[in-house]
Amino acid sequence: MNLRRVSRKTVSVQHVMTSTEAMIDMHGIVKTFKNAAGEFTVLKGIDLTIDRGEFVSIVGKSGSGKSTLLNMITGIDHPTDGQMVIDGTDIYTGVTESQRSKWRGRNLGIVFQFFQLMPMLTLLENVMLPMDYAELYDFEERPRRAMRMLEMVGLGAFANKLPVLVSTGQQQLAAIARALACDPPLLVADEPTGNLDTKSANTIIDLFEELSKSGKTVVMVTHDPSLTSRTTRNIIIADGELINETVAKSLPWLRHRHMMEFSKLAEKRMYSANTTIIPRNEHIEYFFMIHKGEVEVVLQVRKNNETVISRLGPGEFFGEIELIRGGKAIANVRSGSSGPVEVLTIKREDFKRVMDQSPITAREVGIIVQERLDLHRAADSRKRKS
Amino acid sequence: MMNSISEHPTLIEMRDVVKVYSTAAGDFRALQGVNLKVDAGEFVGIIGKSGAGKSTFLNMITGVDHISSGEVIVNANGSPVSIHKMNEDEIALWRGRTMGVVFQSFQLLPMLTLVENITLPMDLCGIFSPRHSRERAIELLRLVEIEEHADKLPAYISGGQQQRVAIARALANDPAVLIADEPTGSLDSVTAETIFELFQQLVTDQGKTIVMVTHDQSLAPRFSRTMKITDGTLENANESEAGSKPGKMRA
Repeated sequence: MNLRRVSRKTVSVQHVMTSTEAMIDMHGIVKTFKNAAGEFTVLKGIDLTIDRGEFVSIVGKSGSGKSTLLNMITGIDHPTDGQMVIDGTDIYTGVTESQRSKWRGRNLGIVFQFFQLMPMLTLLENVMLPMDYAELYDFEERPRRAMRMLEMVGLGAFANKLPVLVSTGQQQLAAIARALACDPPLLVADEPTGNLDTKSANTIIDLFEELSKSGKTVVMVTHDPSLTSRTTRNIIIADGELINETVAKSLPWLRHRHMMEFSKLAEKRMYSANTTIIPRNEHIEYFFMIHKGEVEVVLQVRKNNETVISRLGPGEFFGEIELIRGGKAIANVRSGSSGPVEVLTIKREDFKRVMDQSPITAREVGIIVQERLDLHRAADSRKRKS
Repeated sequence: MMNSISEHPTLIEMRDVVKVYSTAAGDFRALQGVNLKVDAGEFVGIIGKSGAGKSTFLNMITGVDHISSGEVIVNANGSPVSIHKMNEDEIALWRGRTMGVVFQSFQLLPMLTLVENITLPMDLCGIFSPRHSRERAIELLRLVEIEEHADKLPAYISGGQQQRVAIARALANDPAVLIADEPTGSLDSVTAETIFELFQQLVTDQGKTIVMVTHDQSLAPRFSRTMKITDGTLENANESEAGSKPGKMRA
């Protein structure tokens, strides 16, 4: 698929030193719209880093700001404040619209909900367009490359058809072929399956997955929660702010406003390897969510005689049993031996208040509590017999 | 053969055009023998409800889809062409030079500026040199009164403004015929009126021939000729106040 290296940076666009990993690095992105009724801030200072090769979904309710956020990445709309660095290029500082347009043509593939193919051009011609505009690839090479792109998405046989004569799923595949025409490192998609049946939607997601495995970074806005299980990372936006990803992963059943509340209340704590986080028989005042690293839940009956009941990793929680049932810790929890652990903590009263308002989450957490208690009892009885 | 040269030569002729779609439930005749002659300078309105065959009619007249039987002859530059006898490459090039199409949903490319959206069909058809095409695009933006936004992306302008750009794009290769598919269907009534007036001006001031498909009955008196499409058949509607004779709007 990769044909030849082309210089794809526009010289006039400023380069910024940034971590080589990051494909997208945004800081303090604010977007305020003004209309007759006054000002409305859609994005309230977003910080987000997306690494190369990630397949990221951005979800949020209608009006949450998810499409606006995507328009900031593509440069289709401009932020009111903040910095957006994509693939090492600051795309808003001292850059004119036409420089940005040129940069976009060479570095970004965009896929839209309604495909946006030119109705009077064949699929092949539609795929050739970005190469013509970016003046990438030799003139004679463009139709051959466009054909290869169409073949890659399974549309080789339809290359000379007009968009109206193929299905909507095929139109979207052609739009993806077009987005890939200039071999951009980043593919951005706004509700790419929003107008498709389930089967076509799956084909599109399979293709995105393949692309991200081959090294492309894929960022997709969607309102379809079933798609988020297919991505390597899910970002939730609510009222113009990002929900903490550890909170969302640990308690995925919560309403977005409660996730947001926890995102704001959460305090970060760090422990070096092999450090006790919760000692057995102590009162617990916090609910813990693991951000990084691994913790061990350990049962110790006598000195030098312990069993690791379970190991928990990022996106898992602990401390809930005691908060829900009351009483003291029934086991030791410590950071694993493999390295340091970062956790987010929520105070007992905040956790209980939100649980009281969240019956579904309370039930799901309850199921996990029950499983852990069963595990604990089994381990405990074995232990005592030995 | 087509008509000999007259003051208002026939530009488009549809002869017994039939379109049959095969579906699991059996064959469906979307067009059942449509006959239509459009003369140069006419502003023809085709009015019908959804499902009446409007889209199929448009796909036949633009050559976007194949006909089942019949013929569509377009005589845009002195040599009549039976469009469905061309292969797809020929028809695309021919269409690009002969017809401008305006859609309900504008269909501008979101990642290109307005002026780039308009140079696009010119660059594809090669009638105007790339150097000349930007100049012409700006001229066309001036014609539709949106020149000041030339270097903006479509996302920054209103729906009505986007439709103006789409009209400018349809005019890019200076086609004799404009085909418009519900061009005011996505617009509020005030904006819709200004867009309709723009089409009227293109007929009176620029001598364009326009075929417009719409479901909006209220527009009927404002075309130079109005046809009704019902269940895949086309018939004359009551002749309008604006006059039924081709060219009358040029006065």
